[in-house]
Amino acid sequence: MILTAAAMASCGNDNCMGNSSGIPLAAFMEGNNKVTLSDLTVYGIGAPNDSAIIRNTSASQVYMPFSITETTCSYVLDYNGTEINNDTITFNYEIIPYFESRECGAMYNFKINSWEYTQNAIDSVSIPDPLITNSDVVKINIYMQ
Amino acid sequence: MRKARLHRIVMCLMALQVAMPLLAQEQPRKVTPVKPSTNKVLTPPKGTDEKIIQQYLTGDTVQARAQERKDSLAKIYPHYPKLTELSLGLNFGDALMMAFGQKYASYDFSATLNMWNRFQPVLIVGLGRAKETPEDMNFTYTGKLSPYFKLGANYNFLYKNDPQYQLYAGVRLGYSTFKYDITDITVSNPYWGEIGIYELNGVSSNALWGEFLAGLKVGIFSNFALGWEVKFHGLFKEKKNDSGKPWYIPGYGARTGKWAFGISLYYTIPLNRSRWPVKEDKQKGKREVNGSRPITPPVKD
Repeated sequence: MILTAAAMASCGNDNCMGNSSGIPLAAFMEGNNKVTLSDLTVYGIGAPNDSAIIRNTSASQVYMPFSITETTCSYVLDYNGTEINNDTITFNYEIIPYFESRECGAMYNFKINSWEYTQNAIDSVSIPDPLITNSDVVKINIYMQ
Repeated sequence: MRKARLHRIVMCLMALQVAMPLLAQEQPRKVTPVKPSTNKVLTPPKGTDEKIIQQYLTGDTVQARAQERKDSLAKIYPHYPKLTELSLGLNFGDALMMAFGQKYASYDFSATLNMWNRFQPVLIVGLGRAKETPEDMNFTYTGKLSPYFKLGANYNFLYKNDPQYQLYAGVRLGYSTFKYDITDITVSNPYWGEIGIYELNGVSSNALWGEFLAGLKVGIFSNFALGWEVKFHGLFKEKKNDSGKPWYIPGYGARTGKWAFGISLYYTIPLNRSRWPVKEDKQKGKREVNGSRPITPPVKD
């Protein structure tokens, strides 16, 4: 009876349904639809070893992890194989220590206060919900020209 | 001549018709129960009360049957007094659950007033705490010893039976205000090659929740009883913090859990014992009134 009770008491959400930390997910948009950019490279300015998030890859969305030691983070979008110059998006944000759950653990959330971008291939950037959590949903819309 | 005789017979019959009801009203009719075919005296059912047997033997069957019906109704609808008993309980279920790996515990005292052996208002006051460092996770959670309160009621389905055996369903409204620490937090950021270390100390929160439960209570010796409860619960309201949600809520358990289990030891104080219904010992065929000496039915010849 006690074993049954122990099993019942442990019934709950044993798996973390989101990411292990707050990571912004950005989608490339044309109007209301997602668009896939081919041969795209995305990297953070100042990332160790010049590492890229994606390199020469087709993508319709990309994660842009924020630094947890700085409150500003810039990403470069390199449209390889085209004559279009690179675009840069800069985010200014707050870092929020956050405990999500026993299953997901402790992490950082982010609140984006402002953002800037160049407009070589980008038309505009919109962030309807500036709070970045571990939920796996698009929070940044990058509208292409 | 013939006509005059017929007239006298008719007059006599009319006089009898008037006189018979008057004679019948003079005293209540007493009939000794006999079977017409065998002329044998009917014996009352086994275990019939001494008083009723005497009424049968004296031939007062009307009164005996009325009393029998009253007793029969009392058996079907035993009426316990409004204040039947008061039970004081100690819930130690989580102490057992911790032996099976549970990392939190809530201990509480309860006071249950049993009314008519059916409705039971319950007041619960308790303390809860938690300590957990999950494997492969990046934190240590410490729920500080904090109070909780519950208010609710039970409905005893065995209200016709002795109160020391109860099968009940109940509802509770619970509230707790509590604090917790989350320490030893390390968060890695592989892309930027960073590791963040921080602590969340003295985070305060509160929660309001509801419970549905089913329980069993069994007398073990003297006025002591053991009880088991299975609870299904859900949060109504909780304080939101910028730093997140608690893992453990005192009195509720793990925040994401829907089920809880409790074992309690009760001490019961009977109230208005003299007004409790008659308890019948079926094996011995004896009746016991509120602990007084049993009444033995007469021995048949």
